[in-house]
Amino acid sequence: MSISADRFWRENEAVLAEVMPQLQVQRDDFYSQPDWDVYQLHYTSADGIWLFSWLSVPKGDGPFPVIVRMPDYGSVHDIVYTSLRDRAVVMNPTYRGQRRSDHSIQAKYPGLLTEGIGDPGSYVMRRVFVDVLRAVDVIYEQNLAQIGKMAVIGAGLGGSLALAVAARRGVVDAVAANTPMALGNPLAFEPGLAYPLAELNDYLRMYPDQRDAAAQSTADLDPLNMASQIIAPVLLSVGINDNGSCPLAFGEELASLIHQCDLRVYHGASEGGGHEHAQIQMSWLSDKLGLG
Amino acid sequence: MATQQDLEAFSTQVTCPDDFDDFWSGTLEMLSGISLKSVITAEPIRSNDDVHVFHVTFLSLGGLEISAWYSLPTKGDGPFPAIVNFPGYKSEPPVRRDWGKKGVAVLSVAVRGKLMSSSEFNPGYPGLLTAGLESKENYGYRGVISDCVRAVDFLHSRPEIDPERIYACGSSQGGGLTLITAALRPEIKGGVAGYPFLCCYPEAMTMFQSYPYDELACYARAYPGDEEQTLETLRYFDAVNFAPRIKCPMVVGIALDDEVCPPETSYAAYDALTAHKELWLFPNSGHGNAHDYPGQERAWLENQIGLTVVGS
Repeated sequence: MSISADRFWRENEAVLAEVMPQLQVQRDDFYSQPDWDVYQLHYTSADGIWLFSWLSVPKGDGPFPVIVRMPDYGSVHDIVYTSLRDRAVVMNPTYRGQRRSDHSIQAKYPGLLTEGIGDPGSYVMRRVFVDVLRAVDVIYEQNLAQIGKMAVIGAGLGGSLALAVAARRGVVDAVAANTPMALGNPLAFEPGLAYPLAELNDYLRMYPDQRDAAAQSTADLDPLNMASQIIAPVLLSVGINDNGSCPLAFGEELASLIHQCDLRVYHGASEGGGHEHAQIQMSWLSDKLGLG
Repeated sequence: MATQQDLEAFSTQVTCPDDFDDFWSGTLEMLSGISLKSVITAEPIRSNDDVHVFHVTFLSLGGLEISAWYSLPTKGDGPFPAIVNFPGYKSEPPVRRDWGKKGVAVLSVAVRGKLMSSSEFNPGYPGLLTAGLESKENYGYRGVISDCVRAVDFLHSRPEIDPERIYACGSSQGGGLTLITAALRPEIKGGVAGYPFLCCYPEAMTMFQSYPYDELACYARAYPGDEEQTLETLRYFDAVNFAPRIKCPMVVGIALDDEVCPPETSYAAYDALTAHKELWLFPNSGHGNAHDYPGQERAWLENQIGLTVVGS
């Protein structure tokens, strides 16, 4: 990891450790089901911004394994849905700017990926990564269920967030990342990519003199920078035609830097392995979390 | 995984209300009384060598201002063929720059409730599917569908667009809206509906415990006395009831492992089509992730528009 990236993480982790999340928990009677309860969590990030998470908790006595499904790049993060939710605590955290976490900043799509990118101090995506680190810490603040093993999963931006959390939090036991976004890597600025990465080149076309500043703002978030710090086993899927999130060459390099990486390459685009990989991931997660 | 035999054996309990056409002709009449008042603003940051991108607004049902991304080819004077792209349930409308090189305009609509069109109607996700279910007049989708109709009206109003070559596409909710809008606006000359949502509500809300359909199941649990009224409202918004009213060629794409929009329910909409139709079945694929779907959609639209011959 670069000196800059290490400083970025250490500084933000120090603030997270000092500033309490002010966690508020509310059961959602409308969406709770006979076999699991649904909760709405509200808590603050390092800079006091209020964030929201969906949380589902199985009925019965724990401890339960926990799955944290990181949000992809988009305005909405789903209410919890996985067939494992009757056996695992599942958290779907949002980041700033997404719906329900948009009190202070309303994200634009396209647009969020370059919001404030001219200065590392104002670049919103750096805060997004801190937001999800806070979410994982909040899991241990709640008293709704005892927590066992933890997996973090995600697709696109969510894949990168999952990898970052695994790199910074030793409590993570397994990571499933699909087509993790190459944000922070120099190739993400290249012309000819599809959205969402194409937002970066749009920005440089409009503001060519900002190239160095944009590169500096994003570099600390490059998954390649964090890969060697991930101890947990990683299931990684990429699509050979993906040019909007995780170009193949980036995915392969990323896999080579992770200690325990099971790389699956599919003939798809940003959907990665699609349905086929979803089945593989479900089985892999069940195995890693002891769900049988 | 569902099989084609499973789909063909499925029979929906959805029936069409006697006043279905009256309800929708009344809604279209209300729309015709609202001036479009379109405003087009250049988006230079999204424009490139192939496309000029614009942010567009126009007025829709209730006088709500609806936004869209409008991509026009940079080469040629037009009139251009056009595609209207309807959005999925929770996703924001994409900026479509991929048709510019082919000389095709694209309007990508942010129906009410999407970020760009949420100032006066914003039930959220989850939330939209149950907003206003108490009556067909107030159901949120009456406005959403009207917004799609107005998107077609916008294209039809533009001198740079060829009014005889307007097509529609979308996946999931966008697939359902493609079917529904094509029934209400014959100006649409063909469409591709992928993994269509908004089909066979009574069955779809009970087949899986996945969202968005599960919003309806949660609503039924929360308001057990309202089920009859809820299902009555939904009959007016079921793509199965719109399908026989479509006059243009239509494709329905179905993933046989779809756990969001049950394949049987999407097939019922296909089955109800009476105009020229094609069925694309994708085995070993889930909702929105059939690897071959995007390429097939593109090839079919290119063929309809007259750009290429499928298979060439």
